[in-house]
Amino acid sequence: MNDTTIVKLKDLPKGEARCPGAPSTQQIIAADKVAAPGWVRSESYHFMGDEDISKDRYIDADYAKKEFANLWTRTWQFACREEHVPNVGDYHVYDIGPYSFIITRVGENEIRGYYNACLHRGTKLRASGTEGSAEEFKCSFHGWSWNIDGTHKETVCHWDFPHVDPKQYSLPQVRVEAMWGFVFINMDANAPSFADYVGPEAKSHFDKWGLEDRYIYLHVVKRLPCNWKLGIDAFLEAYHVIETHPQVAISNADANSQYDTYGEHVNRFISPLGVLSPHLYGQYTEQDIFDQFTIGDSSAMGGSAKPRLPEGSSARTAMAEMFRGMFEKATGLDLSKMSDSELLDAFSYTVFPNVFLWPGISLPLVYRFRPDPRDHRKCIYEVFFMRPIPPGGTRPMPADPIRLDDHQSFCEAPGMDPAFGKILDQDTDNLVLQQEGLEASAKAGLTLGNYQEIRVRHFERAVDKYVAKTS
Amino acid sequence: MRVLRASELPPNARKPLSVAGKAILLCNLNGQLHAVSNICSHNDKPLERGRLGNGWIACPTHGARFDLATGKAMCLPAVQPIAVYELRVVDDWIEVLVNP
Repeated sequence: MNDTTIVKLKDLPKGEARCPGAPSTQQIIAADKVAAPGWVRSESYHFMGDEDISKDRYIDADYAKKEFANLWTRTWQFACREEHVPNVGDYHVYDIGPYSFIITRVGENEIRGYYNACLHRGTKLRASGTEGSAEEFKCSFHGWSWNIDGTHKETVCHWDFPHVDPKQYSLPQVRVEAMWGFVFINMDANAPSFADYVGPEAKSHFDKWGLEDRYIYLHVVKRLPCNWKLGIDAFLEAYHVIETHPQVAISNADANSQYDTYGEHVNRFISPLGVLSPHLYGQYTEQDIFDQFTIGDSSAMGGSAKPRLPEGSSARTAMAEMFRGMFEKATGLDLSKMSDSELLDAFSYTVFPNVFLWPGISLPLVYRFRPDPRDHRKCIYEVFFMRPIPPGGTRPMPADPIRLDDHQSFCEAPGMDPAFGKILDQDTDNLVLQQEGLEASAKAGLTLGNYQEIRVRHFERAVDKYVAKTS
Repeated sequence: MRVLRASELPPNARKPLSVAGKAILLCNLNGQLHAVSNICSHNDKPLERGRLGNGWIACPTHGARFDLATGKAMCLPAVQPIAVYELRVVDDWIEVLVNP
């Protein structure tokens, strides 16, 4: 490095430095054969300061209590997919901490969410974590019941309850909004609409993906040994790829990924695949990159056998062509207009507080993180693999969750792509060390990179705001 | 024992029957046929109007769920399993093995 380069980096305003000697994500994408749409070709980074963030949020049980009181009660949360409640009368129970809701389809285009507690003596009307169908919700204790529209149906021995006016005993409801096939709920009657919460720019991205036309092919649930926010932070950056997932770095622009924030509640990265990590320049060939490409859902492509890289072709170009053909064959969709980037790259969007949407084809995922209601040092992590519904075909039933024990590898979930399961295991191994390390640390806070860890800062700033109950 | 023509149990249909004095529910879950007890182990209510999910049936009365292959209770308020019966299709007839 010569003196001019050193001076330039030093003089850059905070937040403007990018990986030296490597193309930007936009430059990689601009060189692709089939051009990317506007939502891929845009940038939205905003410097948010560089001070450390406090560690009490991850290790203090009282902080978790404040989250249940102030954060989970005032934010939009992904409760279930519409495919979980396909017919009128179908319901799905969503639990978050101590709170529980019966998400019920009451009309062809109407879904309601009821607080899951009998209005007699508080018994849960439906067990947590279950789903079914009802013509009425009858309590298993004394038989009080409600119609599926929430109105009170029967007070058993009503002669003993002259003080109960059935009209005042409708099941309390939460706000419900369905978008892109997801059902979101919010306990706060005064919260902005979901569209306003996400904001028009981010919403314009989500509107383009057709996630409502996908179904859940595989759903895996596992408790992670860390606070829910630590789990989320780990997936907000590709900075850790070189050290945690060295097998992926061979085919991932990790240090030159792109990071963006949109308003208060949405952020994203674009992490190009099929190109070498800047950390490894000069050490691998295009054939090596081609061989190492990890697909999150390789069985969707009809297997993972790969041919030799065509002479003179880059790994990225060859992967895009191969993917396009394999995916068209597997799904019956016409992908001639789909860009190389949408086929190949890892697009990770988060909607605050706890859902990740990955709209790309190579990694078609949704993540959800929820705190363990009894232990702030644990969380419930879920990964959903989404596949397109075959054109003209019937929608398959969503996969039931596969629940792994704490000690099990993600690779043990039947149907899990083994390369992807390995990635999740590698992340889990770090998380237990990080949770314990924060509790042992003499340092009061965590230090964050200006660009690559902006999503961590953006997310934790929103957490601070809700927990402190400032709005 | 022959109980029903397979063609009378299309996908996602349920059919309650009495077989050798036992209340049985035949289910067709996306082409996979199951024969289970029609009586919920929680409170003896009928399962026949319950929702069929991916490998399970949910009792419509209080929401208890049962695995269709094993009969195992999957959630409260049920704890005990329901009986499951061996089933085969011979010449378009569904045959269920019920021990008296």
